[in-house]
Amino acid sequence: MTPPSSVEDPGRWLPEPEALRLLSGYNLPVIPHRLATTPEEADRAARDLGCPVAMKVVAADLIHKSDIGGVCLNITSPKEAADTYPAILGRLGPHVSPGSVHGVLVARMAPPGTEVIVGMIRDLQFGPAVMAGLGGIFVELYKDVAYRLPPLSQKEARSMFTELRAAPLLAGYRGRPPQDLDALAGCACAVARIAAERPDIQEIDLNPIIAHDRGCSIVDAKIRVRL
Amino acid sequence: MSHSLDAIFRPQSVAVVGASNAPEKYGYIILKNILDAGFRGPVYPVNPKGIEILGRPSVRSIADLPPGVDLAVIIIPAGAVPQALTEAGQGEIKAAVIISGGFAESGDEGAALQREVVEVARRSAIRVVGPNCQGVNNPHHGLCASWPLLTQPGEIAVISQSGTVGAALMDWASREQLGCSTFVSLGNRADIDETDVIEYLVTDPHTQAIAVYLEGIKDLDRFRRVVSGCRKPIVILKAGRTVEGRRAAASHTRSLAGRDELYTALFRQLNVHRADSLEDLYDAAKALAYLPRPAGRRLLIITSSGGSGILATDWAEWSGLAIPPLSDQVATRLRGLLPRHCIVANPLDLTGDATAALYRTVVEATAAHVDYQVIIFGDPILDAAGVVTHGAPQLVIFLGGADVERRERERMHLKKVPVFPTPERGLRALARLFAYHGEVS
Repeated sequence: MTPPSSVEDPGRWLPEPEALRLLSGYNLPVIPHRLATTPEEADRAARDLGCPVAMKVVAADLIHKSDIGGVCLNITSPKEAADTYPAILGRLGPHVSPGSVHGVLVARMAPPGTEVIVGMIRDLQFGPAVMAGLGGIFVELYKDVAYRLPPLSQKEARSMFTELRAAPLLAGYRGRPPQDLDALAGCACAVARIAAERPDIQEIDLNPIIAHDRGCSIVDAKIRVRL
Repeated sequence: MSHSLDAIFRPQSVAVVGASNAPEKYGYIILKNILDAGFRGPVYPVNPKGIEILGRPSVRSIADLPPGVDLAVIIIPAGAVPQALTEAGQGEIKAAVIISGGFAESGDEGAALQREVVEVARRSAIRVVGPNCQGVNNPHHGLCASWPLLTQPGEIAVISQSGTVGAALMDWASREQLGCSTFVSLGNRADIDETDVIEYLVTDPHTQAIAVYLEGIKDLDRFRRVVSGCRKPIVILKAGRTVEGRRAAASHTRSLAGRDELYTALFRQLNVHRADSLEDLYDAAKALAYLPRPAGRRLLIITSSGGSGILATDWAEWSGLAIPPLSDQVATRLRGLLPRHCIVANPLDLTGDATAALYRTVVEATAAHVDYQVIIFGDPILDAAGVVTHGAPQLVIFLGGADVERRERERMHLKKVPVFPTPERGLRALARLFAYHGEVS
């Protein structure tokens, strides 16, 4: 048996608007958003979407946006959105070359809920695998994730969430309403479908998805494609 | 023959290629084990000097064998194996178990030799186990083409990429008089792999559960297809869970191992229990082979040892099994049947002076009211074996009984009632059984 031939193709990360468009094409519940390339466009986007909104920089191969101040949450007025536009770009400084900035994504703030992650990786031996877990910044800390190999039934996808240690959080912890597991399972199934239909896609990372008592919202998406 | 692997697991005749007179050599040990296990068909030692070995004349070469021998066990230097296989093909030998090492596990030269073996085998239509393996054993067929000598027939099949790990399992099962249905050490899996054997065992009448030790799965797609259609319980201990462990696996049997969490996912999706230790592998296989399907998840713990009852309760709770209180009706009935000092509850504590007769009373009075009885013999209880019934929904744990325990355990195992040595191991195994049948997650 031969060992894996080489290090995997590092590929490239799709700009977020492109990633979100791809997900929408699979009927995934992407948070409503616009790409703004001027303060005026940010103002109009905030007006159209309805405040509060979130704003985040869109730049080639910039993955950890929040670490460098590239994300602003809870912007409450179109005027604040217009002011935030130059403020975000000003903070990027040396982290980003000016030519690589596509603009700023303005997105409606999702209602509060439990943060989960749904993702996909391709393993050299197993091929695509779908992952689900407790999301946000705790993914790395708790590693509370479950994997499944496609094809994935809705029932199988649901069981990924019910087997998490954090399952009680989703089931309605301390008087909070139970979160919509069918909607989350639907996301996992759609991701499995993308993996099957798009062999060029190497990795998907929907983190966080905000789970609600009805439905869920994908507020951040990373998709890596083969070069 | 109905199946190509019958020549390996149920051969009518066996040749030992590389048979030897030196007691420390596998060419001697394996021939002796085949003879001592009582193989009923002809056995042919093959030795270039044509000497007498273990009282049998040997033939000088494979070409001198009568045509159509079912199985050749090959124990000669790696470099001579392709030629031996070619001759085996000419002599219409159907299958070979290649014990010899020095193939893919030993570097590029060995890997080339292994490819040659595969080519010759394909060309000659010979199925091959190994190379670099510890052979096969089918106690129901009197075939111990392996070591150590183990002959106790039973219902657990053992498939192992490691000879020693598989032999340890079989040794435990044999020592407990439960025995095994089949043992195969896969070695480098040049031809036959875990999936081939699982596929074969599905139709083996003696096999009730399949215990597997693996470092990697050779053909994932086939494995998924075959296992998802397998109607017998499978338990797998998959080693190489850590980065260093995977590195060790790569050099042991050239196994390519994917991400560990994906094995967990795969096994879960196929309803295969993933064991986390050798003991877990053995205990789960034992429960799955010998215990009946539960009708629900309500347990009644019957014990003479309060401490053991509490330990069992904790493990049941951790495993998602239920220990419901006794119904008033059952409790009233039991109070009328039992001495006053017995604690009529769940766990039901008969206390230290319990006798087999008392156990029997409780077992009979409660059988219709619970899904599974957990019977803990916590003292030297004479005739404990008379309390339990093969095929009944009863988990038996015996501890603290010294010589009486050992005697009663043997009696129970001889009537195919598995006995577990501690509340922990018993309840964990029971949880595996319940999970397999979909009663707990």
